[in-house]
Amino acid sequence: MQKDRFYEDLSLILSRTHKVSIVIGLLLLFLGFYCWKVQILDHKKYWNLAEANRTRESVIIAPRGLITDRNDVMLAENTASFKASIIRENCRDYDRTLAEVGQLLKISSEDLKTRIAKYESLPLFRPIVVKDNLDLGDVSRIESRRLELPELIVETDPRRYYAFGSLAAHVIGYMQELTAPELKSDAYPEKSLGDMVGRTGVEKQYESILVGADGRRLEIVDSQGRSRGETSRSEPTPGKDIQLTLDFDLQRKATQLLEGREGAIIVLDPRSGEVLTLASFPTYDPNKFITRFSPQEWIELINREDHPLENRAIRGLYAPGSVFKLTMALGALNAGVINEQTSFFCAGTVRFYGRPFHCWQRGGHGALTLTDAIRHSCNIYFYNVGRRMGIDRIAESAELLGLGEKTGIDLPGEKEGLVPTPEWSRSVRKTDWYPGETISVAIGQGPLVVTPLQVAVHMGILANRGRGVVPHLLMPSASSQGRSSGPVQRDAAADKVRADIFETVIRGMWKCVNEEGTGRGAKVDGFDVCGKTGSTQLISRERAEKLGREIKTHSWFVGFAPRDNPQVVVTVLVEYGGMGGATAAPLAKELFSLYREKHD
Amino acid sequence: MIDRRLIENIDWFLIGLLVLNSLFGVVVIYSASHYVPGDYHVRQLFFIGASLLALFVLLLVDYQVLMTFSFYFYGIVVFVLLMMLVFGRFISKGSWIKLRFFQIQPSELAKIAIILALAHLFAEYKRNHVSATAVLTSSGLVALPFLLVAMQPDLGTAVSFLPLLLGSLILAGLRRNAVIWILILTFLAGIAGWNFYLKDYQKKRLATVVFPSRDPQGAGYHILQSKIALGSGGFLGKGFARGSQSQLKFLPARHTDFVFSVIGEEFGFIGVVGVLLLYYLFLWRLFRSAGKSRDRAGVYITFMVSLMIAFQLLVNVAMVIGIFPIVGIPLPLLSYGGSSLLANYLGVGLVLNVKMRRFANI
Repeated sequence: MQKDRFYEDLSLILSRTHKVSIVIGLLLLFLGFYCWKVQILDHKKYWNLAEANRTRESVIIAPRGLITDRNDVMLAENTASFKASIIRENCRDYDRTLAEVGQLLKISSEDLKTRIAKYESLPLFRPIVVKDNLDLGDVSRIESRRLELPELIVETDPRRYYAFGSLAAHVIGYMQELTAPELKSDAYPEKSLGDMVGRTGVEKQYESILVGADGRRLEIVDSQGRSRGETSRSEPTPGKDIQLTLDFDLQRKATQLLEGREGAIIVLDPRSGEVLTLASFPTYDPNKFITRFSPQEWIELINREDHPLENRAIRGLYAPGSVFKLTMALGALNAGVINEQTSFFCAGTVRFYGRPFHCWQRGGHGALTLTDAIRHSCNIYFYNVGRRMGIDRIAESAELLGLGEKTGIDLPGEKEGLVPTPEWSRSVRKTDWYPGETISVAIGQGPLVVTPLQVAVHMGILANRGRGVVPHLLMPSASSQGRSSGPVQRDAAADKVRADIFETVIRGMWKCVNEEGTGRGAKVDGFDVCGKTGSTQLISRERAEKLGREIKTHSWFVGFAPRDNPQVVVTVLVEYGGMGGATAAPLAKELFSLYREKHD
Repeated sequence: MIDRRLIENIDWFLIGLLVLNSLFGVVVIYSASHYVPGDYHVRQLFFIGASLLALFVLLLVDYQVLMTFSFYFYGIVVFVLLMMLVFGRFISKGSWIKLRFFQIQPSELAKIAIILALAHLFAEYKRNHVSATAVLTSSGLVALPFLLVAMQPDLGTAVSFLPLLLGSLILAGLRRNAVIWILILTFLAGIAGWNFYLKDYQKKRLATVVFPSRDPQGAGYHILQSKIALGSGGFLGKGFARGSQSQLKFLPARHTDFVFSVIGEEFGFIGVVGVLLLYYLFLWRLFRSAGKSRDRAGVYITFMVSLMIAFQLLVNVAMVIGIFPIVGIPLPLLSYGGSSLLANYLGVGLVLNVKMRRFANI
C-alpha cells in the first residue's frame, strides 16, 4: 500500500499484529494436529468407548434343568423369584438412597455398601442386586416408592426350588453364587459376577448338563441408561433335565428313619448299581442358601458340630466293625485257610501276643462253625481267622469287595477310606505293622475305615456273587453321556472267588437275619433278607469301664434281599446308635418292607 | 448519509465467511438438539438475522464517532454489571439479564465496549514502548468489568477480556521486562485464584485436564465424553445427526460449548479440518484487515476483535479436546447463543467499519 502523508506511520504496530497472528496460526495448527491424533491415531480406542457407552448387554438367565426321581417326582425345579437391584448411576444422592433402601428392605446401610462394593466391576448402568428372594411385601413396598426411588428396581429371575427341602439334600446338593476368585479362574468361562453354580451333589456333578446357555440382550441406551430399543437378542437355551435313580418313597422313608439321629442310609439295586436312596442325617434345607448373601444361618450350619452339610454316606469314614467279618470269611475261604466246617471255640476272651481280646458275648459262644460265627458275629472266631490269614490276604479280600477305594459314584467329594497294610504302615504311619493289629482288623477295627457307600457296594458284590457294582444316580435313559465317563464295572471278585464260597457266606448272612442271629431285627417275612450287623467300638471296653460310661458304638446293618436274584441292598449306619442288631437292623427292615411293598 | 464509495469498500468476503460459519453452526446445532424441545436451530437463525442487522446498523456510524462515545458505552456496561451484582436476584440469573421476551448476557457486549475504550485510550499513543501509566490505566479499565463478571460468577467470559488488554499492550509496545512481570503476576494471580476464588468444581476441572480418566463419573466425565465423541468420529465421521455420543446425550452442552465435539463425531476429521480452515481463513482476513486501517485506533480495533475471536476459538477447541480446563467459553459463531453471536458480529462490524473508512478524505 502506498504511504500517504495524510496517514501516520503504522508499520511498527502492524508488524506487531503480524507476529501475534502468526502465533495464533501456529496454535491453530497445533490444535488441528491434536485432533488428528485423537480422531485418527486413537480412533479405535474411542470408537470402542463410544460403543461401550451406547450399548448395554444384559443376561437372560437360562432356566436350569429339572431334577426328578425315577418316578418323575420333581426334586429340583425353577420358580420365579424377585430380586431388588440398584442402578448406581441413577442415584441422585447416593447416601440417601442407601439409607432409604436399607430401611425399605431392612438391610443395614453398611451391609448395602459392602454388597454394592462386591459388584463394583460391573459395567455402568448394570443393576446391582442388593436383595434377592423378596417376598411380596417387599415387592409392593418397592413398587409404591417407584417415583421417589427410580434407582431401585425389581427384577425376576428363575430360581432353583427344592420342593422337598432337606429331603435328599446331600444327593441333589445346593447352589451358590460364584466367588470373585472362581470367576477369575478358567473354570467358568461363560459365567459372570452374580451367577449361581452347583456347589455339591448332583447340582455340581452334572452342572454342565443342567446349566443351559444364558441368553444375551443387546440394547441401545442413552446417557440416562434408558433403553432405546434392542439391537440383538439371543434366546437362552434351557438346561437339560436329569432323572435320578432315587426312589422318592424310599428316600423319604430313610430320612424319616434317621430323624433325630446322625447317620446314613443307602439303598441300591445291586443288579444295575442304581442308587435308590442315599440319605445322610442331620441334613439342611438347600432352599435357604440360594441367595447371593450368606445369611447367618449359613455360617451357623458350617460351624455346627454335627456337620449337617457333610454327606456321611460318601464322606463319613467309619470302622466297619463286624460287617467286615464277611470280607474275612470270603477271603479266608478263598485262600483256603479255613473251610465251611472249620470251627473255633469261643470262651469270651482269647489271648494273642500276650494281650487279651474279647468277644462281645461275655460268656462266649462255645464252638462255632463259619456260618454260625457270621450269624452270631463271634469275634473270637474271626480273631483266629485273621491270625491265619495275615494282613496282606485280608487287604486283598477287602480290595476284591471294593473297600478302601472310591466306588465311582457320580457325586463329588467321595472319600477313599483306608484298608491298612504293612506297606501303608511303614510309608504313612512310619511305624511297623504289629501282628496284634491284624487281630483288630479281623473284626473291622484298628486303622481300617470305610464309607457307608463302600459297605453298600461290597454288599452288592456279595449279593451279585462277585459281579461288580458301580453305584450311580443318573438314570441311564436320561443322558447317555453322563454314564460313559463313569468308571467301568469290574468283576474281579467273580473272577477270583469260586461261586460256592459266595453261597457259604450268604448262608451265614441268611442265618444272621432269619435264624435268630444278630440281624434278626431286619427279618421280613417272605423276603429272604440276608445281612450282617456291626457295632464299632469307639473306645475299648476296659477304658469304658474305667470311665464308668456306657459304650456307645456306631451301629451298622447291611444286607440284601431276596437271597436268590437279589434286587436290593440296604445299608444303615447310625452314629453312636449302640448295637447294630438293636438299632440299625430294625431301620433296615422298614426299608426292605417298603421296597417289597412297592415291587409286589 | 452513507456514501456509495463506502458501500463499495465493505469487505463482502469477510461477511460471507462470517455468515457461512454461522450457518454451518445452525446445521450442527440442529443435529445436536433436534430431539429436545426448544427449536434451538430456528432461534439461532433468528439471532443470526438480528446480529447481521445490528452489524449493518453499526456500519452507518463512523468508528471515530463510536470511539468518542466509547467511555459512555463503557460506563453503561459497568453500571449494568454492577446493578446485576447488587440487584442480581431480582433481574438476572448468573450472567443473564432476563427481559420480557429474551435474555441477554451484558458481559458479552462488555467486550465491544472494552475494545472501543481501549482503542480510544491508545488512539494517540505514539511512543515505541508503553509507559507504566498506560499499563495501569488500561489494566484498571479492564479489571473493573473483569471483576464484576468474575463475581457473577462467569469466569470464562471474564477471562476472555484479558486477551483484549494484553493485545492492546502488545501493540502499544510492551518491554521484555514488562512481559516477564505480567507472567509473574499472572502466576501469582493464579495461585491466589486457586486458593481464594476458584470453586471446588472448577479446581476439579483443572485437575481433570491432567488426569481425565481418574474420575470418569465426576469432573472428568465431560472431558472424557467429549474426547470419545471426537475420537469415535474418526476420519469421515458418523454422519449428520448420527453421532451416538451426541444423539444419546452422553456429550454435555452439545449445542453450546461442546458443539465442536459434535462436528468431530458426525463429520469426522474432515469436518474438523474444514471448520478449522474456515476459521483460519476468517481470522487471516480479520488480522490482515489491520493493514487496511487509516489510523492507529483502527489497527487497535481490528487487532482486538481478531484476538477476541481467536482466543475464544483456541480456548474452546483446546477445552473440548481435553488439553485445557473446562471454562464456559463458547465456540465463536458456531455455538448456540445470541449474546455471544451478537458480540462477535458487532466486533466484525467494527472491523468492517474501520476497513471501509480507510480513505481519510471521506
